[in-house]
Amino acid sequence: MTQVVEWIANLVIIIGLIFMALGVFGIFRFKDYFSRILVAAKVDTVGFITIMFGLMIKHGFDFFSGKIILVLALYLITNPIATHAITRSAHLSGYRIKKER
Amino acid sequence: MDFDSIVLAIIAGLSVFGLVRVLDGPTIWDRMLGFALFSSKVIVAAVLIGIIINRTYMIDVAIIYGVLGFIGTIMIARFVERKGDV
Repeated sequence: MTQVVEWIANLVIIIGLIFMALGVFGIFRFKDYFSRILVAAKVDTVGFITIMFGLMIKHGFDFFSGKIILVLALYLITNPIATHAITRSAHLSGYRIKKER
Repeated sequence: MDFDSIVLAIIAGLSVFGLVRVLDGPTIWDRMLGFALFSSKVIVAAVLIGIIINRTYMIDVAIIYGVLGFIGTIMIARFVERKGDV
């Protein structure tokens, strides 16, 4: 039974890693700032959530997983606000999307 | 080399790409974006290290780093947006 749980946890972690890799790939693929921040904020957060769930599954139900839930909750709150603040400062400082000719 | 250290190595590799974006980002906000991405990788790496050495204090390190990174990002964004007079 523990072998199956271990295997599922590893699979979830691998999926989280794929999301993180896509997030990193996204910031290099897009040529404009606003599309980069969209990808980085969303896909990276999904990758973070998936990896944390995988680690929680691996560790079962104990004090350790409780702390991982705390990290997850903190990151879910702070990351959107931080990326919003960055984009807001970009917009207010007059950075506009250059129209592709 | 069990599974967790391989995941840790991959995440360390990914965080380097975040720093590459900080280096060659054309605008300031690209650099802040790269730094935000890098700090999320560091949080995951800290939790993974906590799991590898099986100590819970590493997760507190991740929490504190997350909070400080967040405050730093907010302050830099405010500084840039108000062109210096925060």
